[in-house]
Amino acid sequence: MKNNKFKDKYTEKELAESFVFRNKLTPIQKAESNLQMSSMRKEMLSSVTPNQVLLSHLLQLKYQIEDYLDNPTYDGKRSFGFYLRTYLNFLNKKNKEFAKDIDIAETELSQILNQHRKPSEKLFIRLEIHSNKIIPAITWFKLSEKEKEHEILTNDSLRIREQNHVRNVLSFP
Amino acid sequence: MYIIDVKNNKKCVVKIEPIDDQDYNYLTKSRYYFNWKTEKGNDVYKLVFKDNILGLMSLVYDAGDKRIEIHLLAVSKENRGKNKQFERIAGMLIAFACRIALKNYGIEACVSLIPKTQLKHHYIEQYQMTDARWQVFLVGQPLLNILKEYEL
Repeated sequence: MKNNKFKDKYTEKELAESFVFRNKLTPIQKAESNLQMSSMRKEMLSSVTPNQVLLSHLLQLKYQIEDYLDNPTYDGKRSFGFYLRTYLNFLNKKNKEFAKDIDIAETELSQILNQHRKPSEKLFIRLEIHSNKIIPAITWFKLSEKEKEHEILTNDSLRIREQNHVRNVLSFP
Repeated sequence: MYIIDVKNNKKCVVKIEPIDDQDYNYLTKSRYYFNWKTEKGNDVYKLVFKDNILGLMSLVYDAGDKRIEIHLLAVSKENRGKNKQFERIAGMLIAFACRIALKNYGIEACVSLIPKTQLKHHYIEQYQMTDARWQVFLVGQPLLNILKEYEL
Protein backbone atom coordinates (compact mmCIF):
# COMPACT_ATOMS: atom_id res chain seq x y z
CA MET A 1 0.00 0.00 0.00
CA LYS A 2 1.79 3.08 -1.25
CA ASN A 3 2.66 5.47 1.59
CA ASN A 4 -0.37 4.30 3.49
CA LYS A 5 -2.37 6.88 1.53
CA PHE A 6 -5.38 4.59 1.65
CA LYS A 7 -5.36 4.36 5.43
CA ASP A 8 -7.70 7.31 5.96
CA LYS A 9 -9.86 6.56 2.97
CA TYR A 10 -10.59 2.85 3.39
CA THR A 11 -10.78 0.37 6.24
CA GLU A 12 -8.57 -2.72 6.06
CA LYS A 13 -11.63 -4.82 5.24
CA GLU A 14 -12.51 -2.49 2.37
CA LEU A 15 -8.94 -2.73 1.08
CA ALA A 16 -9.04 -6.54 1.19
CA GLU A 17 -12.35 -6.39 -0.69
CA SER A 18 -10.77 -4.26 -3.41
CA PHE A 19 -7.15 -5.30 -3.82
CA VAL A 20 -4.48 -7.90 -3.84
CA PHE A 21 -1.38 -5.74 -3.62
CA ARG A 22 1.91 -6.47 -5.28
CA ASN A 23 3.96 -8.12 -2.59
CA LYS A 24 7.31 -9.73 -3.12
CA LEU A 25 8.85 -12.22 -0.78
CA THR A 26 12.57 -12.82 -0.55
CA PRO A 27 13.63 -16.13 -2.15
CA ILE A 28 14.10 -17.57 1.36
CA GLN A 29 10.65 -16.45 2.50
CA LYS A 30 9.09 -17.79 -0.68
CA ALA A 31 10.80 -21.19 -0.38
CA GLU A 32 9.87 -21.45 3.28
CA SER A 33 6.29 -20.43 2.58
CA ASN A 34 5.90 -22.78 -0.38
CA LEU A 35 7.18 -25.64 1.74
CA GLN A 36 4.73 -24.83 4.51
CA MET A 37 1.87 -24.42 2.05
CA SER A 38 2.76 -27.68 0.33
CA SER A 39 2.68 -29.66 3.57
CA MET A 40 -0.60 -28.03 4.64
CA ARG A 41 -2.13 -28.80 1.24
CA LYS A 42 -1.10 -32.44 1.51
CA GLU A 43 -2.69 -32.69 4.92
CA MET A 44 -5.90 -31.02 3.75
CA LEU A 45 -6.11 -33.18 0.63
CA SER A 46 -5.56 -36.37 2.62
CA SER A 47 -8.88 -35.76 4.34
CA VAL A 48 -10.82 -35.08 1.14
CA THR A 49 -13.88 -37.33 0.87
CA PRO A 50 -14.86 -39.35 -2.23
CA ASN A 51 -17.86 -37.06 -2.54
CA GLN A 52 -15.63 -33.97 -2.72
CA VAL A 53 -13.48 -35.69 -5.34
CA LEU A 54 -16.56 -36.51 -7.40
CA LEU A 55 -17.87 -32.95 -7.11
CA SER A 56 -14.54 -31.55 -8.27
CA HIS A 57 -14.53 -33.98 -11.23
CA LEU A 58 -18.03 -32.89 -12.25
CA LEU A 59 -17.18 -29.19 -11.96
CA GLN A 60 -14.00 -29.78 -13.93
CA LEU A 61 -16.06 -31.45 -16.66
CA LYS A 62 -18.65 -28.66 -16.63
CA TYR A 63 -15.96 -25.97 -16.99
CA GLN A 64 -14.30 -27.89 -19.82
CA ILE A 65 -17.61 -28.10 -21.69
CA GLU A 66 -18.47 -24.43 -21.01
CA ASP A 67 -15.08 -23.23 -22.26
CA TYR A 68 -15.37 -25.41 -25.36
CA LEU A 69 -18.83 -23.94 -26.04
CA ASP A 70 -17.41 -20.41 -25.67
CA ASN A 71 -14.72 -21.21 -28.19
CA PRO A 72 -16.00 -20.62 -31.75
CA THR A 73 -13.80 -23.44 -33.10
CA TYR A 74 -15.42 -26.83 -33.66
CA ASP A 75 -13.45 -29.86 -32.55
CA GLY A 76 -14.72 -33.21 -33.82
CA LYS A 77 -13.11 -35.03 -30.89
CA ARG A 78 -15.08 -33.04 -28.33
CA SER A 79 -18.41 -34.56 -29.17
CA PHE A 80 -21.43 -35.01 -26.94
CA GLY A 81 -20.47 -38.69 -26.73
CA PHE A 82 -16.91 -37.83 -25.68
CA TYR A 83 -18.07 -35.66 -22.76
CA LEU A 84 -20.79 -38.10 -21.75
CA ARG A 85 -18.20 -40.89 -21.65
CA THR A 86 -16.00 -38.67 -19.45
CA TYR A 87 -19.00 -38.22 -17.14
CA LEU A 88 -19.42 -41.99 -16.90
CA ASN A 89 -15.70 -42.45 -16.27
CA PHE A 90 -15.74 -39.94 -13.42
CA LEU A 91 -18.65 -41.83 -11.89
CA ASN A 92 -16.83 -45.10 -12.52
CA LYS A 93 -20.01 -46.59 -14.00
CA LYS A 94 -20.44 -49.19 -16.69
CA ASN A 95 -22.81 -48.42 -19.58
CA LYS A 96 -25.39 -50.93 -18.36
CA GLU A 97 -25.45 -49.49 -14.86
CA PHE A 98 -25.67 -45.89 -16.06
CA ALA A 99 -28.35 -46.67 -18.65
CA LYS A 100 -30.39 -48.07 -15.77
CA ASP A 101 -29.75 -44.92 -13.68
CA ILE A 102 -31.29 -42.69 -16.34
CA ASP A 103 -33.84 -45.22 -17.57
CA ILE A 104 -32.76 -45.62 -21.19
CA ALA A 105 -31.86 -48.77 -23.11
CA GLU A 106 -28.21 -49.74 -22.97
CA THR A 107 -28.11 -49.83 -26.78
CA GLU A 108 -29.42 -46.25 -26.95
CA LEU A 109 -26.70 -45.11 -24.55
CA SER A 110 -24.06 -46.97 -26.51
CA GLN A 111 -25.23 -45.39 -29.79
CA ILE A 112 -25.09 -41.92 -28.25
CA LEU A 113 -21.63 -42.53 -26.79
CA ASN A 114 -20.39 -43.69 -30.19
CA GLN A 115 -22.08 -40.84 -32.06
CA HIS A 116 -24.45 -43.11 -33.98
CA ARG A 117 -27.49 -41.46 -32.48
CA LYS A 118 -28.43 -37.91 -31.45
CA PRO A 119 -29.30 -37.30 -27.81
CA SER A 120 -32.87 -36.28 -27.07
CA GLU A 121 -34.28 -33.53 -24.86
CA LYS A 122 -35.25 -36.05 -22.22
CA LEU A 123 -31.61 -37.12 -21.98
CA PHE A 124 -30.43 -33.53 -21.33
CA ILE A 125 -32.94 -33.23 -18.51
CA ARG A 126 -32.15 -36.65 -17.05
CA LEU A 127 -28.43 -35.85 -17.07
CA GLU A 128 -29.10 -32.60 -15.22
CA ILE A 129 -31.13 -34.46 -12.61
CA HIS A 130 -28.53 -37.23 -12.36
CA SER A 131 -25.72 -34.74 -11.67
CA ASN A 132 -27.85 -33.00 -9.03
CA LYS A 133 -27.87 -29.91 -11.29
CA ILE A 134 -24.07 -29.61 -11.29
CA ILE A 135 -24.12 -29.89 -15.09
CA PRO A 136 -27.32 -28.20 -16.31
CA ALA A 137 -29.45 -29.60 -19.16
CA ILE A 138 -28.79 -26.44 -21.17
CA THR A 139 -25.04 -27.18 -21.18
CA TRP A 140 -25.63 -30.67 -22.62
CA PHE A 141 -28.13 -29.21 -25.10
CA LYS A 142 -25.70 -26.55 -26.32
CA LEU A 143 -23.01 -29.18 -26.72
CA SER A 144 -25.32 -31.21 -28.94
CA GLU A 145 -26.31 -28.06 -30.84
CA LYS A 146 -22.68 -27.21 -31.53
CA GLU A 147 -22.37 -30.52 -33.37
CA LYS A 148 -25.61 -29.90 -35.25
CA GLU A 149 -24.46 -26.42 -36.23
CA HIS A 150 -21.20 -27.80 -37.62
CA GLU A 151 -23.10 -30.47 -39.52
CA ILE A 152 -25.44 -27.92 -41.12
CA LEU A 153 -22.54 -25.68 -42.06
CA THR A 154 -20.47 -28.42 -43.65
CA ASN A 155 -22.85 -31.10 -45.00
CA ASP A 156 -22.43 -30.69 -48.77
CA SER A 157 -23.94 -34.05 -49.73
CA LEU A 158 -27.17 -33.11 -47.94
CA ARG A 159 -27.25 -29.85 -49.89
CA ILE A 160 -26.93 -31.71 -53.18
CA ARG A 161 -29.65 -34.18 -52.16
CA GLU A 162 -32.07 -31.50 -50.99
CA GLN A 163 -31.62 -29.42 -54.13
CA ASN A 164 -33.97 -31.86 -55.91
CA HIS A 165 -36.77 -30.95 -53.50
CA VAL A 166 -36.72 -27.22 -54.14
CA ARG A 167 -38.44 -25.45 -57.06
CA ASN A 168 -38.64 -21.84 -58.16
CA VAL A 169 -35.33 -20.92 -56.61
CA LEU A 170 -35.18 -17.16 -56.25
CA SER A 171 -32.80 -15.54 -58.62
CA PHE A 172 -30.98 -12.27 -58.22
CA PRO A 173 -28.93 -10.44 -60.79
CA MET B 1 -21.73 -14.65 -13.18
CA TYR B 2 -23.12 -11.61 -11.47
CA ILE B 3 -22.33 -8.71 -9.18
CA ILE B 4 -24.79 -6.79 -7.01
CA ASP B 5 -25.87 -3.21 -7.64
CA VAL B 6 -25.70 -1.65 -4.16
CA LYS B 7 -28.46 0.91 -4.98
CA ASN B 8 -31.23 -1.61 -5.57
CA ASN B 9 -29.65 -4.95 -4.61
CA LYS B 10 -30.20 -6.22 -8.14
CA LYS B 11 -28.04 -8.88 -9.77
CA CYS B 12 -26.09 -7.66 -12.80
CA VAL B 13 -24.67 -10.24 -15.18
CA VAL B 14 -20.98 -9.78 -15.88
CA LYS B 15 -18.31 -11.43 -17.99
CA ILE B 16 -14.76 -12.27 -17.00
CA GLU B 17 -12.41 -12.60 -19.93
CA PRO B 18 -8.75 -12.22 -20.85
CA ILE B 19 -7.70 -8.65 -21.35
CA ASP B 20 -7.08 -7.33 -24.88
CA ASP B 21 -3.85 -5.55 -25.71
CA GLN B 22 -5.83 -2.40 -26.54
CA ASP B 23 -7.36 -2.38 -23.06
CA TYR B 24 -4.01 -1.43 -21.53
CA ASN B 25 -4.38 2.03 -23.07
CA TYR B 26 -7.41 2.69 -20.87
CA LEU B 27 -6.17 1.16 -17.62
CA THR B 28 -5.18 4.32 -15.81
CA LYS B 29 -3.55 4.24 -12.41
CA SER B 30 -6.15 6.69 -11.13
CA ARG B 31 -8.96 4.21 -11.78
CA TYR B 32 -7.23 0.82 -11.43
CA TYR B 33 -4.47 1.87 -9.02
CA PHE B 34 -1.60 -0.19 -10.44
CA ASN B 35 0.43 0.11 -13.60
CA TRP B 36 -1.12 -2.91 -15.34
CA LYS B 37 1.34 -2.82 -18.23
CA THR B 38 3.85 -4.52 -15.94
CA GLU B 39 1.55 -7.56 -15.90
CA LYS B 40 1.66 -8.17 -19.65
CA GLY B 41 3.70 -11.35 -19.15
CA ASN B 42 0.99 -12.83 -16.89
CA ASP B 43 -2.58 -13.89 -17.62
CA VAL B 44 -4.64 -10.79 -16.93
CA TYR B 45 -8.43 -11.01 -16.70
CA LYS B 46 -11.02 -8.24 -16.67
CA LEU B 47 -14.47 -8.25 -15.13
CA VAL B 48 -16.76 -6.42 -17.53
CA PHE B 49 -20.25 -5.00 -17.07
CA LYS B 50 -21.81 -3.25 -20.07
CA ASP B 51 -18.41 -2.74 -21.74
CA ASN B 52 -17.07 -1.19 -18.55
CA ILE B 53 -14.08 -2.81 -16.82
CA LEU B 54 -14.89 -2.96 -13.10
CA GLY B 55 -12.08 -5.21 -11.95
CA LEU B 56 -8.74 -6.67 -13.00
CA MET B 57 -6.72 -9.66 -11.89
CA SER B 58 -3.25 -10.87 -12.85
CA LEU B 59 -2.52 -14.58 -12.48
CA VAL B 60 0.73 -16.54 -12.35
CA TYR B 61 0.55 -20.27 -13.04
CA ASP B 62 2.67 -22.89 -11.34
CA ALA B 63 1.52 -25.96 -13.26
CA GLY B 64 4.02 -28.25 -11.51
CA ASP B 65 2.53 -27.29 -8.16
CA LYS B 66 -1.04 -27.29 -9.55
CA ARG B 67 -1.35 -23.80 -8.20
CA ILE B 68 -2.36 -20.37 -9.47
CA GLU B 69 -1.14 -17.29 -7.67
CA ILE B 70 -3.22 -14.14 -7.71
CA HIS B 71 -0.38 -11.74 -8.30
CA LEU B 72 -2.42 -8.55 -8.45
CA LEU B 73 -6.08 -7.62 -8.19
CA ALA B 74 -7.85 -4.28 -8.23
CA VAL B 75 -11.43 -3.13 -8.27
CA SER B 76 -12.14 0.12 -10.16
CA LYS B 77 -12.07 3.27 -8.07
CA GLU B 78 -15.85 3.83 -7.98
CA ASN B 79 -16.35 0.34 -6.55
CA ARG B 80 -14.17 0.64 -3.49
CA GLY B 81 -15.11 1.58 0.03
CA LYS B 82 -18.37 2.83 1.50
CA ASN B 83 -19.70 4.47 -1.64
CA LYS B 84 -19.08 1.61 -4.02
CA GLN B 85 -21.60 1.03 -6.79
CA PHE B 86 -21.26 -2.76 -7.05
CA GLU B 87 -20.50 -5.55 -4.63
CA ARG B 88 -18.82 -8.93 -5.22
CA ILE B 89 -16.29 -7.78 -7.83
CA ALA B 90 -13.13 -9.00 -6.06
CA GLY B 91 -14.88 -12.17 -4.85
CA MET B 92 -16.09 -12.94 -8.35
CA LEU B 93 -12.54 -12.56 -9.70
CA ILE B 94 -11.08 -14.78 -6.96
CA ALA B 95 -13.79 -17.39 -7.63
CA PHE B 96 -12.91 -17.21 -11.31
CA ALA B 97 -9.26 -17.97 -10.47
CA CYS B 98 -10.55 -21.00 -8.53
CA ARG B 99 -12.57 -22.06 -11.59
CA ILE B 100 -9.47 -21.95 -13.80
CA ALA B 101 -7.44 -23.87 -11.21
CA LEU B 102 -10.08 -26.58 -10.79
CA LYS B 103 -10.58 -26.90 -14.54
CA ASN B 104 -6.82 -27.36 -15.05
CA TYR B 105 -5.79 -29.32 -11.97
CA GLY B 106 -8.90 -31.03 -10.54
CA ILE B 107 -9.22 -31.72 -6.82
CA GLU B 108 -5.55 -30.84 -6.13
CA ALA B 109 -6.06 -27.32 -7.50
CA CYS B 110 -4.79 -24.49 -5.34
CA VAL B 111 -5.18 -20.71 -5.51
CA SER B 112 -2.84 -18.59 -3.43
CA LEU B 113 -1.89 -14.99 -2.84
CA ILE B 114 0.73 -13.10 -0.86
CA PRO B 115 -1.19 -10.72 1.39
CA LYS B 116 -0.13 -7.53 3.07
CA THR B 117 0.28 -8.59 6.70
CA GLN B 118 -2.46 -6.31 8.00
CA LEU B 119 -4.97 -7.58 5.42
CA LYS B 120 -4.25 -11.29 5.79
CA HIS B 121 -6.99 -12.06 8.32
CA HIS B 122 -9.56 -10.36 6.08
CA TYR B 123 -8.78 -12.70 3.18
CA ILE B 124 -8.97 -15.61 5.62
CA GLU B 125 -12.34 -14.49 6.98
CA GLN B 126 -13.87 -13.38 3.71
CA TYR B 127 -12.80 -16.28 1.49
CA GLN B 128 -12.00 -19.06 3.99
CA MET B 129 -8.37 -18.97 2.91
CA THR B 130 -5.84 -21.00 4.89
CA ASP B 131 -2.93 -19.25 6.56
CA ALA B 132 0.52 -20.42 5.42
CA ARG B 133 2.37 -17.58 7.14
CA TRP B 134 3.60 -15.48 4.18
CA GLN B 135 0.86 -16.70 1.88
CA VAL B 136 -2.80 -17.62 2.11
CA PHE B 137 -4.42 -20.23 -0.08
CA LEU B 138 -7.55 -22.10 -1.11
CA VAL B 139 -7.64 -25.82 -1.69
CA GLY B 140 -10.16 -28.68 -1.34
CA GLN B 141 -13.48 -27.89 0.33
CA PRO B 142 -12.86 -24.13 0.90
CA LEU B 143 -12.11 -23.79 -2.83
CA LEU B 144 -15.28 -25.72 -3.69
CA ASN B 145 -17.20 -23.47 -1.27
CA ILE B 146 -16.07 -20.34 -3.11
CA LEU B 147 -17.21 -21.83 -6.42
CA LYS B 148 -20.59 -22.61 -4.88
CA GLU B 149 -20.96 -19.20 -3.26
CA TYR B 150 -20.22 -17.44 -6.54
CA GLU B 151 -22.32 -19.96 -8.53
CA LEU B 152 -19.59 -21.00 -10.94
